[in-house]
Amino acid sequence: MVNDSLFADFSNQSSKGIVVIYAKLLFKAFKATWILLIIFIQRFSKFSEETLLYFYIGTVVFLVFFLIRAYLIYKNFLFKINDGQFVLKEGVLKKKNTSISFDRIQNINFKQNLIQQLINVYEVRIETAGSKDTEIAIKALTYEKAQALKMALSLVKKKVQQLELEEEQPRPLLKIGFNELFKVSLTENHLQNLLVFMALVFGVLQQLNDVFIGIGENDVLGNYADVNPKDIFNSMLVFVVFTLILIVIGVLSSFVKVLLFHFNLTLFIKDKSFEITQGLLTKKSIILSKGKVQSITISTNPIKKKLGISFVTFKQAASGKVKKQQHKLIRIIGCKIAQINTIKDLLYVNRSVDRETRYIPDNYYVLRMYFRSVIGISILNCIILFLIKDTTWLWANLLVIPVALVLIHLKYQKAFYQFNNELLLVGKGRVETHVVYLPFFKVQNIKIKQTIFQKRRKVVNLVLQTASGKITLPCVEENRAITLYNYILYKVESSKESWM
Amino acid sequence: MEFTNIEILQLPDISKVTFKRIHKDYLKVIVLSIVTLFSVLFLTVFLLKKNVEEIREFAHVNYIYLVLTLLFFVLITAFGVGFSRRKYVLRDKDVTYKSGVFIKKITTVPFSRIQHVEISEAPLSRLFKLAALNVFTAGDSSNDLVIKGIKKEEALKIKEFINQQING
Repeated sequence: MVNDSLFADFSNQSSKGIVVIYAKLLFKAFKATWILLIIFIQRFSKFSEETLLYFYIGTVVFLVFFLIRAYLIYKNFLFKINDGQFVLKEGVLKKKNTSISFDRIQNINFKQNLIQQLINVYEVRIETAGSKDTEIAIKALTYEKAQALKMALSLVKKKVQQLELEEEQPRPLLKIGFNELFKVSLTENHLQNLLVFMALVFGVLQQLNDVFIGIGENDVLGNYADVNPKDIFNSMLVFVVFTLILIVIGVLSSFVKVLLFHFNLTLFIKDKSFEITQGLLTKKSIILSKGKVQSITISTNPIKKKLGISFVTFKQAASGKVKKQQHKLIRIIGCKIAQINTIKDLLYVNRSVDRETRYIPDNYYVLRMYFRSVIGISILNCIILFLIKDTTWLWANLLVIPVALVLIHLKYQKAFYQFNNELLLVGKGRVETHVVYLPFFKVQNIKIKQTIFQKRRKVVNLVLQTASGKITLPCVEENRAITLYNYILYKVESSKESWM
Repeated sequence: MEFTNIEILQLPDISKVTFKRIHKDYLKVIVLSIVTLFSVLFLTVFLLKKNVEEIREFAHVNYIYLVLTLLFFVLITAFGVGFSRRKYVLRDKDVTYKSGVFIKKITTVPFSRIQHVEISEAPLSRLFKLAALNVFTAGDSSNDLVIKGIKKEEALKIKEFINQQING
């Protein structure tokens, strides 16, 4: 089935690729001009026939131009496999030649957006750990060819014997149906999702507003913001209704988000890798090999705990600022304890870490948090007293102080670490509980930080830098930190395993 | 920590290593750059006072000089103390740098995790033939290791040594 010679010479992607590229170009153009289009439609009746004719001709010219462009992009997109390298030639006017050696390939993912699903082709993405520019997307391949390409890339790499045929699909470790997805979405962080949703809506409204102001129309939003309650009862009612609406929107946006990203989530385990498929409009299939996982985080919150489910987040090596590379985080929602144990067993041979002694941060950690929040709240009160000069705002303290106390208490309670010979386990979180598993040999560099206040207390912060972000152990007792420091260095320097 | 009871005796201990100070000429670089900065600040205040009516009538204008002078001495002292704390050491398998007055820091990068090494020379440092050694690892590079103020020849030697260790 696997035929290396299939890719020995330069070949095009499937001719359906033209459709995919064309759609993408049109979508981009639409995104850039949709506001103009709205204005145009609004004033449709005001244009003379001549203007309209020009407009239609212009549109047709654009459509044809994009079609030609899509064809040229397709024609000039050639790839082959040669001598352990994936070679790609692309570019219509600006030619680009990329070659990636197999051992730099981090993973090979399949993706299908709506159009690709309709015409039944797969987008193959080849990710590397290097810079973002070296990421390659082949827009349209038939399923057979996509599989063959993946095989060819991973076969040459590992030089293993012929693999068994694809038909014998093993039973998935995890499959999340619609009902479960719904349940999971209820346990999401609704506040966060609400904020994301609001940001999105306000972004669009702002854009609309700018345009309408720009062409001399009145503030379109102004009319809706004119709520003027007459008495306290009314304003209370408005407040309650508003809060209820926000809650509903929050829950709905969580649901939509979960549905969009995690629809039909399936997790397979194949000898040394995970295969994850999920997504509604854009279906993604990700192969994640065991060695490339830098650390995993298991997260849960009180509601999820009741339902007995957790999230597992796989972190891979990222370049540059880690926060910008969210797509390299792979989240598996709705895992049961047994499934999590299977994942852990596959990744880490020696799991005794769960039963090791639990160390908690020094008392100084909680003292420092109290100290900081006292400063924060004092500043808040100063602002109220001297800038706003309205003492009714001081009642806000009734809300802020207890919330701060509870959050500090939770954060201190959830911070811990434990370790065995190979693995470090770090607990953190406030409302949510996160537990990070990090094998010592994946550490990139290690740092100890100590402020002068910490020095008096003989505690330090231990910072472990990994290829997927840093992990901090706050306020560790000084001698133990140095012991750990020495031990981790010993583990990293004596390890023969490759960290990716 | 039962596992360490046996192994700890044989493990190399970072707290017992003799560190090497960075080159003493770098203190001159630090002082020179602070002096330059404050000269500019003083000059600005002086010129403003001379030319702008409102500032001249501002009663506390001389306090600005006082604050600046105080700040100058605080910074000079802090960096002076900080200078003697900037130390580094190369061991068989890693490179370590420590520094800090108010926040003490010590960072170790194992050679086996280094992506690449760079040498950079800032204009002032170049006057004294000093260079900075930048060591990069995978992931977020803002937390990597930088040793400023070593002689350029030595920096080149270290770079060569590390490159050998990486490839060897």
